[in-house]
Amino acid sequence: MGTMTVRYPVRDQVAIVGVGTTPYSRDSGKSEMGLVVDAARAAIKDAGLTAKDVDGIAGTWVRAELAQAALGIPAVNYYLNTRLPPFSQQVVAGINAVFSGLCDTMLVYHCAYRMGGTSRSAGGDPFRVSRRGMPRPLSPFPDTITGAACYASWANRYIEEYGASREDLGRIAINNRTNAGHNEHAAARKPLTMDEYLGARMVRDPLTVFDMDYTIDGADAFIITTAERARDLPQKPVIVHAAVLGQTDHGVEEDLPDLTDTGLKVAADALWARSELTLDDVDVFMPYDGFSVITLKWFEAIGYCGVGEAPGFVMDNWNEDADRIEIRGRVSVNPHGGSLSEGASQSAGHMREAVNQLRGQASGLQVEGARTALVAPGGFFYNAGAMLFRT
Amino acid sequence: MSEITDQQVADRLPDMWLDRDNVEFYRGLLQRRLLINRCADCGRWQQPPFPICPSCWSDDVRPTEVSGEGTIHSFTILRAGPPLPGVDYASGHPVVVVELAEQQGVRVTATTADVAHEELRVGMPVTLTWVDRGGEPVPAFRPAASA
Ligand SMILES: [Zn+2]
Repeated sequence: MGTMTVRYPVRDQVAIVGVGTTPYSRDSGKSEMGLVVDAARAAIKDAGLTAKDVDGIAGTWVRAELAQAALGIPAVNYYLNTRLPPFSQQVVAGINAVFSGLCDTMLVYHCAYRMGGTSRSAGGDPFRVSRRGMPRPLSPFPDTITGAACYASWANRYIEEYGASREDLGRIAINNRTNAGHNEHAAARKPLTMDEYLGARMVRDPLTVFDMDYTIDGADAFIITTAERARDLPQKPVIVHAAVLGQTDHGVEEDLPDLTDTGLKVAADALWARSELTLDDVDVFMPYDGFSVITLKWFEAIGYCGVGEAPGFVMDNWNEDADRIEIRGRVSVNPHGGSLSEGASQSAGHMREAVNQLRGQASGLQVEGARTALVAPGGFFYNAGAMLFRT
Repeated sequence: MSEITDQQVADRLPDMWLDRDNVEFYRGLLQRRLLINRCADCGRWQQPPFPICPSCWSDDVRPTEVSGEGTIHSFTILRAGPPLPGVDYASGHPVVVVELAEQQGVRVTATTADVAHEELRVGMPVTLTWVDRGGEPVPAFRPAASA
């Protein structure tokens, strides 16, 4: 008999309401995706629901954005793309996601598939070899925008569609480099001028080396606990006010319908729908900057300006003397230098900076009296999120 | 047209993730045919190929040859990358995302033919053609003949 001595408030709060499976066989004659969509359709129908009712997704092997797209699930506020089994983490995450209000209806799936490396009889089957390509269909290399080239292609689209210029991308790179110059933790601190930016070697037009994150060896770690317990610990607590994820059903790089319908927008909408704070409360803003164009889009998605208006917004809030962005003369943007200059941390550095800013312990330019920090990780397609931290 | 087996597709495109959902797309490339999945029930075109129709969940999706007409939706020029026969990064390797005439939002990515890099524009009408690379056919888009 349990004694309920551990904290577990989710108890009795979440239920399994639908189940689906496929035959278990030596050779299904289907792809992994074929098996996943069969089980998923069965489970959704078993629950008496449709694709539109699903707003969370997690699974193994078959990537969540592809399963979402194949099933025509319009938008999810929660996804989990842990590639490797075991399956338990997806289930636990799903239960907690529902309990917390991130999503109401969670689809969780797992696919087992005999692969050449683990089954001798599967070794001679061209569909079961250990695959070297990306786990999604694409044009043969290098005629593809899967991976890093997608932001170059979409940056060209942004420039064409909104009449933007390379200078608009350059201001993002310069802001981050200026800020990194004040941060001893940053890997790239040499000041960057617009002339240097415009003269830089193209890597993938229209993006130069300064538009791409600065790769490093490095790590960040965080300890997370309840707000109640945090009050008894030595550091000033940083409270998670809201934290969400966002993804559309067009998560393949070529398939984004346009520059308004991004994962960033889904995440931003989900964040504000769950927050008592507003953009006016934000003292410091940490948008992702793995590529400069992502930061431009984050200004728009999070609500600082309209679609296509980020270049003007950045110019209107540019401090000429400091050579950086200061929103309304006050709010810093990636004061640590971001991935473009502090180092390519895939947003871990952004989160660390948010904590340090709110503790008043920023390694670089401290925003005086910062009480609210907004971190916006991820890009257009399949990895966006948004998190509001407060003291 | 001679048959190309699944194994031959895998052997001739060794770097591609090959599965039962996309093998017809790749077999088509090797036969100089651009095949895009189309739902036999509701008519929706879908790229990349999925085993069902995302709109109506029909299983009856059929690889269907497209007209090859479209417009450039976005593009980039690759200035560096792993060496490949017939790919010249030094002068820039163009990659275009082409929105096909068949349906809004259905796009294919390929290289270009018969067009200078500086002439590439978002919205440019293009037509499918095929170029040879390392002895294999590769789809490419060239400017459409002016009407
Ligand atoms: Zn259909």
